Amino acid sequence: MTSQTFSTWGRWVAGREQVPPDKLPSEFSKDQPLKAFMGWDGLFVHDTAVNLVDMARAYMEQARQESCGQCFPCRLGTEDMSAILEGICAGKGTPSDLDRLESLARLVTDTARCDIGQTAPRPLLDLLQYRREDFLNIIKSKTPIPAGHYVTKVTAPCTNACPSHLNIPGYVEKIRIGRWDQALSTIRNDCCLPGVVGRVCVRPCEFNCRRQRLDSGIAIRALKRYAADMELESGQEPPLQPGPAKDKKVAIIGAGPAGLSCAYYLGLKGYQSTIFEALNEPGGMAAVGIPDYRLPREILRGEANQVKKLGCEIRYGVNVGVDITLDDLKLQGYSAIFVGVGAPEASKMRCEGEDAGYQCFMTGVEFLRRVAYGERPVEGKKILVIGGGNVAMDCVRSALRLGFTDVNLIYRRTRAEMPADPVEITEAQEEGVKFNYLVAPLRIVAKDGKVAGLECQRMELGEPDASGRRRPVVVEGANFIIECDAIVPAIGQICVVDCVLPPEEVEITKWKTMVADDITFRTNQPYIFSGGDCVTGPATLIAALAAGKNAARFIEQFLTTGQSVPEESDYMERLISRLGVYYFKEKMPYADSTTKLHPPVMEPEVRVNSFEEVEGVVNSASATKEASRCLRCYRIAMAAV
Amino acid sequence: MNSLTLNGKNISFEPGQTILEAARTHGVDIPTLCHLQAADHKGVCRICVVEVQGADRLLPACATPAGDGMVVDTHSSKVVQERKMLLELLVANGDHNCLFCEANGDCKLQALVYEYGVKNVARRAGYEQRPIDDATPMILRDFNKCVLCGRCVAACNDVQVNNAIPYPFGRREDKPPVTGWLPVADYDRCVHCGECVQACPVGALLEKKALGKAMTWQTQKVRTTCPYCGVGCQMWLHVKDNQVVKVTGVEDVLPNRGRLCVKGRFGYDFVHAPDRLTTPLIKENGAFREAGWDEALGLVASRFSEIKAAHGPQSLAGFTSARATNEENYLMQKLVRTGFGTNNIDHCARL
Repeated sequence: MTSQTFSTWGRWVAGREQVPPDKLPSEFSKDQPLKAFMGWDGLFVHDTAVNLVDMARAYMEQARQESCGQCFPCRLGTEDMSAILEGICAGKGTPSDLDRLESLARLVTDTARCDIGQTAPRPLLDLLQYRREDFLNIIKSKTPIPAGHYVTKVTAPCTNACPSHLNIPGYVEKIRIGRWDQALSTIRNDCCLPGVVGRVCVRPCEFNCRRQRLDSGIAIRALKRYAADMELESGQEPPLQPGPAKDKKVAIIGAGPAGLSCAYYLGLKGYQSTIFEALNEPGGMAAVGIPDYRLPREILRGEANQVKKLGCEIRYGVNVGVDITLDDLKLQGYSAIFVGVGAPEASKMRCEGEDAGYQCFMTGVEFLRRVAYGERPVEGKKILVIGGGNVAMDCVRSALRLGFTDVNLIYRRTRAEMPADPVEITEAQEEGVKFNYLVAPLRIVAKDGKVAGLECQRMELGEPDASGRRRPVVVEGANFIIECDAIVPAIGQICVVDCVLPPEEVEITKWKTMVADDITFRTNQPYIFSGGDCVTGPATLIAALAAGKNAARFIEQFLTTGQSVPEESDYMERLISRLGVYYFKEKMPYADSTTKLHPPVMEPEVRVNSFEEVEGVVNSASATKEASRCLRCYRIAMAAV
Repeated sequence: MNSLTLNGKNISFEPGQTILEAARTHGVDIPTLCHLQAADHKGVCRICVVEVQGADRLLPACATPAGDGMVVDTHSSKVVQERKMLLELLVANGDHNCLFCEANGDCKLQALVYEYGVKNVARRAGYEQRPIDDATPMILRDFNKCVLCGRCVAACNDVQVNNAIPYPFGRREDKPPVTGWLPVADYDRCVHCGECVQACPVGALLEKKALGKAMTWQTQKVRTTCPYCGVGCQMWLHVKDNQVVKVTGVEDVLPNRGRLCVKGRFGYDFVHAPDRLTTPLIKENGAFREAGWDEALGLVASRFSEIKAAHGPQSLAGFTSARATNEENYLMQKLVRTGFGTNNIDHCARL
């Protein structure tokens, strides 16, 4: 291989500089399978063996395929450019073809409706500018050139931001044209719990929506929920079919999002699976960690049932490591195992008295679990919840619904640093939760073995730490005691994989998480795969679903070929993520003033009285209108391999 | 505030207006092809693109909000050049021969091609013959003339809301092989209102009844009110030699804003029916004879009066029709209540 680096990457977006070849992502280096890359922002290449003219032909053919046929320049222009490039590569080109290509490429980038047309001709224009002789040589030789091998990915800023890479512009468009059924099929290609994710996703997509540069982003999560709601309302069964039955079966540990997702995508391929679940219902932390007012249990149960219909059995109340061991699973004939046991235990606060076993002191995880089972886990009127994440929000809002009249949240930084979803914070405030910022717990004050108060330290913000958030610093001599009836710390969760699997057989980190390959999800044992929180530490529901989905692909590869190795498209996916698809500084050529859809929400004084769902149903007219705001920022990426 | 520079002239606009709307308010014409106001259908054809200072691409005037301080050129050399190229591709991507086209003289594509001096150049991607849909008695769909502007789709789904032309666009691979992106009608849902025909900017959708009856410039347009029901839809009769050859809705006026139903649009044969009554008839000795209006009305009035005198007002009743206008229905109940002296009045729409 002759190494030759050439890059035009980055020159198309105003405010960005062209990326020099030595600043390209590490996926694009000598020992990686990707030899050249063409995309929405130019191209780069490091191997002379790649014929860029043929690659331009393949790229334009892909653009022709992706064109939706709606706007005239993209529909007609990509067809014509593709035909001309086919002609050149077949040895039938003429020099005037290049001028025609250039004017067509300009026409399409200048006038197309969406980013397929606006961005697809860019690498071609770059080549015509910098490597015109490559084309002329082929035209002069009048001989056909061989076709290369390429991998392609179609992405978008929202799609790329989603851990599971849902085709968001695709399903949003289906909603726009009134086809919620097709939208759901698109969603289910990458996400098996549409109604769940449509309610509680942390929606990285929305924070990467390019429409924000124009006015306000698309309510992507609400649209997903709308599609799922429409299916429920119609009473139609999802059109799911298990694949042709295979003779190998898979054991899955944990019926949380990762496990369910893994079972679902294995089921679509025809693999039977058995999920071993310690709780007595499906969903894992989504079931016992997210309160019903955010995610009604019947939605989760309903969607878990769809997974079962694809050939998956769930055995409840089974503690792997206690009731059944890894060896048992092997003896029972499971050819592969997926471990998705999550991060089910609470982190310590390092606060005096937290291990003393005081009455009315309970971790957030335990508190929410008991609430999920209909209990009122701690007594009293005044409760303190410690933490600033979504679990802390779930705890305070649940406490209000349990009848606590004085609900206080304690957080050692300020609202600006709070990791919880801004919507959750606002809704908690509306419901009457009192927020105490810049306060850290020091010691639990107890009386007769029962919580009586919390000694706290006053904090102030210092220099930014590794996470970029300003570090809280103790203000000396400003300690104070808050009297209360109950204390619930919700400051994080930890993994306990060592309780499930024998550490002598599987590699476990000192944080008690599984060690698994970040592309293939394979552990040190070739037949054991693992994904979700138990590998990454506490993360998001959609990340767990993505892990389950992707692990299913490599489990299938292992079951059919005996190995699990990354595919070219996996390197490609990672390369795209590193390059970044959304430019936060992009300047749009005009301003607009449309507003984001906000689903109806129950009034605060009504909703605090029960665990009834807070967010209401979006009607079809609003959903269609919202969907029509999508800019379809599709981008085509292609690599020569 | 709210002013922009349009072709070097400072103009004001209303917040929320598009560049196209602002330009039209000030008498500046920007060509459009796909824009269908009634359905808010826009942004497809890209013929209306304009140059906006500072933008890295051309922007569609129909879908871009006017912005304060924008500097817009609607006919810069770049704009004209790209419009022309787009039209050239469009003409080459269909069977657009005006000699054989019913829409000759009433075609947006023809007008644009003429205005921009577009030449007939074959496309590199070639052109494959497309199907012709001749399946129903009323509408001919010659997809070889279709420019895929989506107006018929919007007219059917968003204006009439019949949903009889499924949205045809999407990834090429996901589309059926022969019909592809063509706006194919689903006749199980179609009610033959003809809204799609009226929306077609070219000669792809045609009314079979009008085929070969008249060239567009041979007809006179006569505005009238639809006689079929009480809504009072406004329609144009296209008349040649005193014969109605076609009916279309009058755009932008109430109550129908250009919309018509199957009866209003296609059911005009009765106008020229030879057995249509043109004078009142009075039956005498078992046979009808022609009579004048005064004689006929006098006869009816005297007979009603006789019955009323002999049997009382409750022996009379009135029953009116949805084909009468609101005003006519009002007069009818007035006649029955004050002339007959009874409340025995009803209307077919109540049944």
